[in-house]
Amino acid sequence: MAGTDAFVEADNAEAIITRIEHKSRKIESLLKQSKPVEALKTALEGSPPNTRDERCKSANWIVVHRALMAIKDVDGMFSSLDPEYYDILMKYLYRGLSTGDRPTCDQCLRIHEKLTERAGLGCILRSLADTVNTV
Amino acid sequence: MANTLRLYLTCIRNTLEAAMCLQNFPCQEVERHNKPEVELKTSPELLLNPVVICRNEAEKCLIETSINSLRISLKVKQADELENILTKKFLRFLSMRAEAFQVLRRKPVQCLRLSNVPLACEKTLGYDISFLITNYHCEEMQKHKLIDFIVQFMEDIDKEISELKMSVNTRGRLVATEFLKQFI
Repeated sequence: MAGTDAFVEADNAEAIITRIEHKSRKIESLLKQSKPVEALKTALEGSPPNTRDERCKSANWIVVHRALMAIKDVDGMFSSLDPEYYDILMKYLYRGLSTGDRPTCDQCLRIHEKLTERAGLGCILRSLADTVNTV
Repeated sequence: MANTLRLYLTCIRNTLEAAMCLQNFPCQEVERHNKPEVELKTSPELLLNPVVICRNEAEKCLIETSINSLRISLKVKQADELENILTKKFLRFLSMRAEAFQVLRRKPVQCLRLSNVPLACEKTLGYDISFLITNYHCEEMQKHKLIDFIVQFMEDIDKEISELKMSVNTRGRLVATEFLKQFI
């Protein structure tokens, strides 16, 4: 059983990485049209839910990072982002904060403050408590 | 500059408010024992995801939570050798008197060791000071006051280290002036 699981994982990983590459192309085009919020939405949806493959997670993180750094107006972003994306955004924010890279951390801290005001402490606790779907 | 400090402290405060949800939980392995699970890490179901919040390359904060305890480790900014020594000595002074602080841990958390081979970068990767808050502390003391204490500590530590550095430099200058007067 575990053997077939691993096999399905490897197959899926390739498919997921191809999907992530498609996504990143779409995001580049959205960013060129100066639609950073749309780009972020595309990056966040379809995040690998149950893969344990580090490469998929890293690939998706790179894509989300690109979209996050392009955001200049944080308040405007929240007015057009649906609440269902708050939890997954919080997980990516914590991943960004752990990198230690100064501009990333600055941006993530800014968004984190506004997101906590919007979504509350429950959002933070859900990202801490979810050990199954890590980002 | 001051703005990132404010954002960094706000982020830590919000994370601590969410993470400080502690309850009493007797040890599952040994009867009649009650241990802080975040220190032992024996059962993964009792631990939450550890979170690292970095302000920049030099300053970061690690927050690890479990069902009955919470560990906060801080790495303080150290710009040069002198600040390095001052920070180490000052924080060692505080850690030795951990009993008085109650929530302070006697040894700061080191970086994760994958093998027993000592790493050259271990000293720089580890943290400078650690706090351990258990459910008993939350029962005796108020949660928001504990969080205020930690955040206040982080603000004050920078001021203390700069004051110490200034006094060392002043003393050094005075001593050198006095000593070298005999050669004029």
